Amino acid sequence: MTLATDPPVTEPSATGPSATGPSATGPSATGGAPVTNFDAPVIAGGRSRTRVVVGHLTLALLGLACVFPIYWLYATSLRRPGDIYELSPLPWPLSLDSYRTAFDEVDVARLLLNTTVVATLTALGQLLTSLLAAYAFAAWSFPGKRLLYLAFVASWLVPFQVSMLPNYVLLHQLGLLNTLSGVIIPNVVSGLGVLLLRQHLDSFPKELLEAARMDGRSSWSTLWTVVVPNLRAALAALGILLLVNAWNEYFWPAMVLQRDNSVLQLGIRSFMSATEGNDWGPLTATAGLACLPIFVIYLVLQRHVVSGFVRSGLR
Amino acid sequence: MSGMFVEVAPPTLPAPIVAPAAAGGRGRTARRLTRRLGRGVVPYLYLTPALGMLIVWTYRPLVETANYSFYSWNLSPTQPATPVGWHNYHRLFTLPELGDSVWRTVLMIVGLLPFTIVIPVVVGLLAREVRGRARSVYQALIFAPFLVAPVASAAVWQWLLSPRVGAVNRASGTSVNWFHEQWPALIAITGVTGWHVLGFAVLVVAAGLASINGDYAEAASVDGASRWQITRWLTLPLLSPTLVFLLMTTVLLFAPQWTFPLIDSLTQGGPVNATTNVYYLLWEYGFQSFDAGLASAAGVVFFLGFGLVAAVLLWISDRVTVHDD
Repeated sequence: MTLATDPPVTEPSATGPSATGPSATGPSATGGAPVTNFDAPVIAGGRSRTRVVVGHLTLALLGLACVFPIYWLYATSLRRPGDIYELSPLPWPLSLDSYRTAFDEVDVARLLLNTTVVATLTALGQLLTSLLAAYAFAAWSFPGKRLLYLAFVASWLVPFQVSMLPNYVLLHQLGLLNTLSGVIIPNVVSGLGVLLLRQHLDSFPKELLEAARMDGRSSWSTLWTVVVPNLRAALAALGILLLVNAWNEYFWPAMVLQRDNSVLQLGIRSFMSATEGNDWGPLTATAGLACLPIFVIYLVLQRHVVSGFVRSGLR
Repeated sequence: MSGMFVEVAPPTLPAPIVAPAAAGGRGRTARRLTRRLGRGVVPYLYLTPALGMLIVWTYRPLVETANYSFYSWNLSPTQPATPVGWHNYHRLFTLPELGDSVWRTVLMIVGLLPFTIVIPVVVGLLAREVRGRARSVYQALIFAPFLVAPVASAAVWQWLLSPRVGAVNRASGTSVNWFHEQWPALIAITGVTGWHVLGFAVLVVAAGLASINGDYAEAASVDGASRWQITRWLTLPLLSPTLVFLLMTTVLLFAPQWTFPLIDSLTQGGPVNATTNVYYLLWEYGFQSFDAGLASAAGVVFFLGFGLVAAVLLWISDRVTVHDD
């Protein structure tokens, strides 16, 4: 569907009837248009001027409403401590005092490092296991294939809250409670990753796999020298999606790291109290820092991030 | 040709199966058999890492949760679990909390529907004719909240909705204590979640609208259909798979799951349980009351309940949706 992000080799098959499988009854059915382009068909009556203006207004207002809280977060964090309660839309004069306080009270650098390690390793682990599993599903037929695939599809019906107690007990037995490994290890499988990569691999030209086999390459070397290089764009989009999810994960770290707020999402909590009188400056500064890496990725790779998430929804 | 597959096979290839064939004196057959067995094992080898993790961290706990639900246990390693039969289920269904939490989950779902269906469809229809650079800028802005870490959003909304000093109350001149009054707390949690997921829904609807074949609308307008008629009788039915998908994500993902970090950091389920939905209830039973049996019984009931809801929604989506083939 996102032709621009797909490698050239998958293009011919992307227009084929089975490109996105039987579930392509949704918006992805007709493929073609990149998700972020949205060349909606011209509906009867053509593009009257008023309609275009109304469209611009609607989108602009909604966009501003959506972004305002994010803007306010950063605006507050950049005000001088004495100006925190100002309502002026522009924080002026700027000050980094809130960030300084945040760094003094919480080891923000360590939290950032921990969160980066956890999110990166989780996403890479998920990407690797998903790739191997999707390759198995796409390149072979074997007994139990449908059932095993169903096991991946159905995994999203088992929420964390249902499996948390036995997993907590197992982590305790393994001695992994309150460790970063305890946050990473149970998460290195992603049903969504398997599903999405399998769809990509199913539209992968079988002739290429066959040709590699004729050349006498092992399945392992075919995977890394033929499949992966042609799947780079899809892997990147999925990788970003998994990274964002892992970065923003809250439930599992909150459970495993109960005694130690050693990732950012939990670090923010230490500035929050149920009663009023929070230290709003450092709180917004930490929260702003927690979102910053994701926003940087978003600014640089906007199209890929959006298409990664929307695609995942369009299966 | 397939010799390499044998190399990948594990050294623990079932020897007994190979041995009788070799004993039969036909070496070639034996080698072929080994090769075939080896090749048969390959896909399972590729599946092993993902499948192993899935079994250990998803399906084993599911079975164990079902098992725990028949025991009384306080999660302490030194305290043995004692079997109590169906007692936990009996308690669960006689406690008022279960029904209340289901009801509040339903309220959250209903409260989220404007954000996940109504606004995205209205905006999508109004903005169909905006294209190009401007459109991707708007969409980038609208999608941004979806990427905000849940706790960061809890932080900024606690600040915006703070009773005396928050921007919302000061700008609107009200004095609602958002997170400490029952209905405002429920509305606030639902609204903040809605803010999170709105951008996702808007983009999904926009993609859905973009994929609808324009020929139908053109044909209808040649036949004299008005713009509203085309929207009502063509566009919306063709959009129905997208809408059912969004309904499903709202019911199964956004309302129960995305609200959790907000509830945990903003209200802890309060005031007076006003924001305790089903998953927060599970968390409370497990990690606040340390009542593993009751939490597990509730887990089993909710798992079956959501499975049933998912099945019904899938059935509806098969029945109701119009396919553009």
